[in-house]
Amino acid sequence: MARRVLYPIYQMGNPQLRVFRPNFSMTLVRPGKEQPPDTVQFRISMEMTKCDVKNYLEKIYSVPVAAVRTRIQYCTNKKRNHLNQRVKRPDYKVAYVQLAQQQTFQFPDIFPKKESQPEEGSMEAIQEKFMEDEQQRQKPDPRRGGVPEWFGI
Amino acid sequence: MLGSPHRSKMAATYGLRVLSLSRHFQSAFAISPASQVQHCGKLSFRINALSLPACAARVTSVAGRSVHSRPLHTSQRRDGLMEFFDLPENWGESRVKSGAPWTAKQLRNKSNEDLHKLWYVLLKEKNMLLTVEQEAKRQRVQMPSPERLRKVDRSVKRLNTVVQERETALRLLQTGQERARPGAWRRDIFGRTYWYRFKEYSIPWYLNKRYKRKRFYTPYFVNPYIRLRIEQHMRQKRRQRLAEARRQKKLMERFPNMAAKAKTN
Repeated sequence: MARRVLYPIYQMGNPQLRVFRPNFSMTLVRPGKEQPPDTVQFRISMEMTKCDVKNYLEKIYSVPVAAVRTRIQYCTNKKRNHLNQRVKRPDYKVAYVQLAQQQTFQFPDIFPKKESQPEEGSMEAIQEKFMEDEQQRQKPDPRRGGVPEWFGI
Repeated sequence: MLGSPHRSKMAATYGLRVLSLSRHFQSAFAISPASQVQHCGKLSFRINALSLPACAARVTSVAGRSVHSRPLHTSQRRDGLMEFFDLPENWGESRVKSGAPWTAKQLRNKSNEDLHKLWYVLLKEKNMLLTVEQEAKRQRVQMPSPERLRKVDRSVKRLNTVVQERETALRLLQTGQERARPGAWRRDIFGRTYWYRFKEYSIPWYLNKRYKRKRFYTPYFVNPYIRLRIEQHMRQKRRQRLAEARRQKKLMERFPNMAAKAKTN
């Protein structure tokens, strides 16, 4: 359960193989197509297997897992670099994890719109003030009643 | 992060804080200024791991009481899948504060158990950051404080080196073997010398057909070619050296007042 490791050959009676420092990473992603509420979608390392995913989530995150399905996403080969050579985007493995014990998961909105008030006297506040003034200056004179500038004395 | 020597530590180290709690807790809380109200990265995670209030300001008020008070206990955090996301207080923030990555010097002072736990803390932190990064890419917004990813990577790398150092020391002590995977300098059929890493086989080498197919010797008629290869290599080197010298000379002719510093570039 680790990348680029040559495991020792297992002989009968040897202690069970243990991985002390797993270097796999999993990325929880928002599913592109709608999934059942108990299914979570991950992007995982290519070397990970279904058993690995199950163990990873159960042992490290203590999440009950019922079933895992995986597939490999082929990524585009169409991109060209500045020398007009093909550039391959790396493929990745996708895991669909079904949670056990009637657990459900909803991907949260982690970038909510926040009304931020910049501090008084800070660089951002000054910049904002300046932009506001500039916009005010650019506006046409309301007393002219929408008559274009070129018309008049 | 709370005013102790460990204040500038990687934000992801809350778990280790649990371990070194007894040692650092007092110093950490004694000096912490009361004005620290912001949720500094994973600080509140760390505090959560201690099942203390999530806000540093409240923590200071707790610190006012006895450190060994009842509400302090070190049970595991069970957020399940929400551990893949940042703290809810940090959602929507443009910047998230974080400390410096762990240095190898700091990690060398830790016990093996601590390092083992820290590995998982860093792993979780990295997964969290990757998740946030991917979601930011998807929504086409800027990821808050992307430098955290590199910090975690550095910590992980240093932790790895420290653990390997210890393994090497133990191996040297117990077996006298310098490398985890022993090897030897060998010459192949073309007379090239390379480092051959020994592998484990289930049968002895003289029964192993595949091993015997490899030729770790150089026939005598290859010797002139070895000499030629060396000659070719030296010629290439010389050509490069001369080209560089020519370039320098040309530059000196064109720009006689060129600074000595720029000459080397």
